[in-house]
Amino acid sequence: MLEFLATIGHGTARWFARVGALARFTFQAFGSLPSLPGAGRRVAARVLLNQLRFTALQAVPLIVLLSGVLSYLTIATTVTQLDKVGASELIGKLMVVAIVRELGPLLTAVAIVGRSGTAITAELATNTVLGEVRALEGMGIDPYHYLVLPRLFGCVVSVSTLMVLFDVVAVVGGFLAAAIIAGMSGPRYLGIVLANLTTQDVVLTCLKGLLFGLVIGIIPSYEGLSVRRGPTEIPQAVIRGTVGSFALIFVLAAIIVGAVQG
Amino acid sequence: MTAAAPAQAPLAFIEVPLGRVRRTTLGGLPAPGAEIEGPFSLDVAAHTTVSVVGDEASGVDTLGGLALGLERAPAGQVMTLGTEIAKLARMAQLAFRRKVGYLPAGDGLMQNLTLRENIRLPLRFGSNFRPKDIEGRVDVIVAQLRLTHVADLRPAQTNAEERRRAALGRALAFDPELVVLEEPFDGLTDRAAGELLEAARGGETAAGSRRTVLITGASLPALLRHRVDHAHRLVRGRLDKGH
Repeated sequence: MLEFLATIGHGTARWFARVGALARFTFQAFGSLPSLPGAGRRVAARVLLNQLRFTALQAVPLIVLLSGVLSYLTIATTVTQLDKVGASELIGKLMVVAIVRELGPLLTAVAIVGRSGTAITAELATNTVLGEVRALEGMGIDPYHYLVLPRLFGCVVSVSTLMVLFDVVAVVGGFLAAAIIAGMSGPRYLGIVLANLTTQDVVLTCLKGLLFGLVIGIIPSYEGLSVRRGPTEIPQAVIRGTVGSFALIFVLAAIIVGAVQG
Repeated sequence: MTAAAPAQAPLAFIEVPLGRVRRTTLGGLPAPGAEIEGPFSLDVAAHTTVSVVGDEASGVDTLGGLALGLERAPAGQVMTLGTEIAKLARMAQLAFRRKVGYLPAGDGLMQNLTLRENIRLPLRFGSNFRPKDIEGRVDVIVAQLRLTHVADLRPAQTNAEERRRAALGRALAFDPELVVLEEPFDGLTDRAAGELLEAARGGETAAGSRRTVLITGASLPALLRHRVDHAHRLVRGRLDKGH
């Protein structure tokens, strides 16, 4: 019994140590921002542009596909049923609440974790294992400046931008479904959707873009840079980074829903 | 906190227990360390080339990190150019390290940059030189280390000798007065090792080599032993007096 409790206690202590280290890593990353040297800004900006190209630009086809298919399927399967009971106006609510406000940000974040979060962890873990991070510190370059901050801001900008893209494509996909299946006109569909869209929806989507982007920038970077022993630890770091990001994103989404509805 | 240097040597290890040195990752979790006796003391006098060799259990792999303040000595002192780097604030540590050339074990070249970009990186990040001046400096280093034909290739596209030359070029980017080389000659021919050593020393002055050089690693090529001013062997964290 004592051994069992000790195992639980040990695991809990390790979990708290990890959370503490993650928090310290986050504060140090943001704390390093003011000290980014002028000359270093140009180099970091180039890394940031690369990150945007990889995380945002190259993910556009995936986001368009996800959003288009999801919105088409959702509206196509519900619009005829709603039409039968004379509640076709509800597709606006469905579109805004379910897709634009909740599923859009969540699916965008999930797609970016799967695509870029894993890549960030693997890349930074490889940097660490190959001694590149130590070499950077040895030549006076802060790894937070060169490796972490460009990825962090790249993820925030990318996730926010892709969420807007997801929502726009979702609205267009929903219209195609409504027009093809229920013969709804463009102005009517747009009117229904816009009537249900509030400032709060826009603010919440922006907030989620910021928070989810931070999560995808921080957790994979932290896990990648925490690798200690060697290459065999890289896949484990990728798993920890991916699972940790997914978990925190879903928890944050639930907290936001709870806060809004509470 | 910066303590005054007790010795004039550009690099001095004073009573450092190497066995208790722990590497720490950016994530803040310590890596496992080896049990090594100590303490270790060594002065690297100005304008000299000093080598310290030893096996894995000797603690020789911690010396470079201690000299650069990448690892903190749990006791004793490591004075580098008169300063205990590990006791400085983080940004001051980074700035100070630019005064020391560092070739880490395994080269540590950024794999997504070409050799030229690797050499350019510290200059672009850590100096306010004009881009034109930086390019001029990089061209000189590339030519001096005979890397012109591979300068625009990435590390994975080059051989071990070219990568080592590039890593040394990067270490010399700021033309430091002190250079720390970790396992710089592993896998190289004696001829290549000799060329790298001469480049690291930076030529001769009346007082000795222009730069002060500390070489650490498992062994030193036999042909280089007469070109090193002091060769030491480390055994379980202590200098072997009989060596």
